[in-house]
Amino acid sequence: MNGITQSTALWYASRATGVVSLLLLTGVTLLGVLVNRQGRLPGLPRFAVTGLHRNLSLLGVLFVAVHVITAVADPYVTIGLAAAVIPFASPYKPLWLGLGAISLDVVLALILTSLARARMNRRLWRAVHWLAYLAWGSALVHSLTSSTDLHQGVLLYLAIGCALAVAGSVIWRISQAGRELPREERAAATLDMMSPRSVRAPARRGPREHIR
Amino acid sequence: MTYGTTVPHPAPEHGRPPRPGGTDAGLPRLLPAHGAVPVDLRTHLDRYGAPPYLGQAGRLIPVLKAAGLTGRGGAAFPVHRKLAAVAHAGTRPVVIGNGAEGEPASDKDKSLLWISPHLVLDGLQLAAEAVGSATVGLYLHRHPRLQDRLRSAVAQRAAAGLDQAMVEIIDAPPRFLAGEESALASRVNGGPAMPRFKPPMVFERGVVGRPTLVQNVETLAHLALIARFGAAWFRAAGTAAEPGSMLCTLHQADGRRDVLETGLGTPLHSLLALDGQVQAVLSGGYHGAWLPAADAARMTLSNVDLQPAGAFVGAGVLVALPADCCGIAEAARVARFLALESAGQCGPCFNGLPRIAAAMDEIARPRPDPRAVTDMFRWAALVQGRGACHHPDGSVRFIRSALHVFRDEITNHGQGRCVDPARRPFLPLPAGTALSAADWS
Repeated sequence: MNGITQSTALWYASRATGVVSLLLLTGVTLLGVLVNRQGRLPGLPRFAVTGLHRNLSLLGVLFVAVHVITAVADPYVTIGLAAAVIPFASPYKPLWLGLGAISLDVVLALILTSLARARMNRRLWRAVHWLAYLAWGSALVHSLTSSTDLHQGVLLYLAIGCALAVAGSVIWRISQAGRELPREERAAATLDMMSPRSVRAPARRGPREHIR
Repeated sequence: MTYGTTVPHPAPEHGRPPRPGGTDAGLPRLLPAHGAVPVDLRTHLDRYGAPPYLGQAGRLIPVLKAAGLTGRGGAAFPVHRKLAAVAHAGTRPVVIGNGAEGEPASDKDKSLLWISPHLVLDGLQLAAEAVGSATVGLYLHRHPRLQDRLRSAVAQRAAAGLDQAMVEIIDAPPRFLAGEESALASRVNGGPAMPRFKPPMVFERGVVGRPTLVQNVETLAHLALIARFGAAWFRAAGTAAEPGSMLCTLHQADGRRDVLETGLGTPLHSLLALDGQVQAVLSGGYHGAWLPAADAARMTLSNVDLQPAGAFVGAGVLVALPADCCGIAEAARVARFLALESAGQCGPCFNGLPRIAAAMDEIARPRPDPRAVTDMFRWAALVQGRGACHHPDGSVRFIRSALHVFRDEITNHGQGRCVDPARRPFLPLPAGTALSAADWS
């Protein structure tokens, strides 16, 4: 290593933001599975999990954007702005960079459909959201193939960890299917959990309150 | 007695409008002037004649536009716009009269269906003609006597050759959300009466995927009269911005409960007795908002007045809360009801509303945890706008207004006191909650 010089700064920035992007996308994917299964995180109410999923995804896009811009701007290899979004159009490593472009496109589609969710058909939104697995998978393969950074050491373990975590969450999701509470019992179940007193008979107040 | 349907009013002559103009603008229009005696088909025909079919789809729509009729189910959506959207959708539409009055504090649709079923059925036929539909239904709660009455009314009309389309009666489950448009469409399609995400709107894709016109039964009754007497007659009641009359369910502080038809723009103090014995007024039902009694006394029954104060006319539920009643305890009872009426589909709703209800329970107790109020505002912000339907939004509006209007009572509870230690329940609530899929269909 000769340290960061002006000519290598973009290259280092691109590699670093790429690694962070992979980590963030993995986190967003895990949280997405958790949101889908109405799972919880210790110390957080359920809708905070949804909020975290959203905010982390926006942060992820930010890092992906810096990763792409620095990679395009880096004079060492010629990628071109078009190749950043058009899959397999890059003269340099067309297949492996193409996977990155696919991931970027899908992530953009996910963000745009989610921002417009209130005004769009929910089935369409859901269909697009299923592509999140494609976005994460192609991002992982792109990370492992476009650069050799993840081939050894801590970063290798990090990549393996990401893959195992998402694989584990998918298995968990499948195992959870059909085990969720029926819709009509959910609100009552939450209310039961929130207040230990009898809640199923609604709005019955007795003298036991001892207010004066 | 100034309430109810006993307002002195000359019986109209055959085929002529109930006298427009004057101070009462021909009110009441929908319910007979004398007593709550159901109007049978002969009396109805003597008074109004057969439904005035126009012979062609679309012709009624400009008349409704000129009349300025809005939906009386609560949302006050312009009726002509919905009709035009359905009429121009290109596929054969479905028309459903919505008589599912899930709001526990509202009686007006049941009263109207019981007393003036033929006005509703006329309106249903005329609306079906206006949008070019031959598939017509009436969505009613499983109330055997009411359903029997409507069934026999439909049969009599068919025998008399009054109807162009056959009316099918469809069961609505006894749920708060059963009357929500998309829940209605799901129920008519054979599924549970649960709301779905929009778009597509029900008037674009509703029953069996066809454009579906859903109109509240009171809206249909107004429509039937507008078709006969015209837009100017309709506008003789109400204000220029909010024309016409509406049925209100009035809950007086002394416990009386009446259905009254009144013009929009009527001062609230002439509908509810608002003296020193009343602390607050609930407008718009359990998705509505509380107003301090002194503020309400200066307002009229109109969205122009109520909306700046965070309330709205809604389906005409007005409750005067007596001064010796704990507003927080009442709001907590309703919050619990609203939470349990969640369809359990959207996380923010079925997780958030029970949390809010539990926090309301907390501040209804003596010396509550002071964090409960801040928790509630935080959760309220998190659930708002996050549902397939407006159940979370309406519930949050109700809770927030209660926390604001009854803030002195919260302080009281903090000191271990309450205006009503006995906690006699005042607001009407049904006994059961949904526990199985059968409760939704």
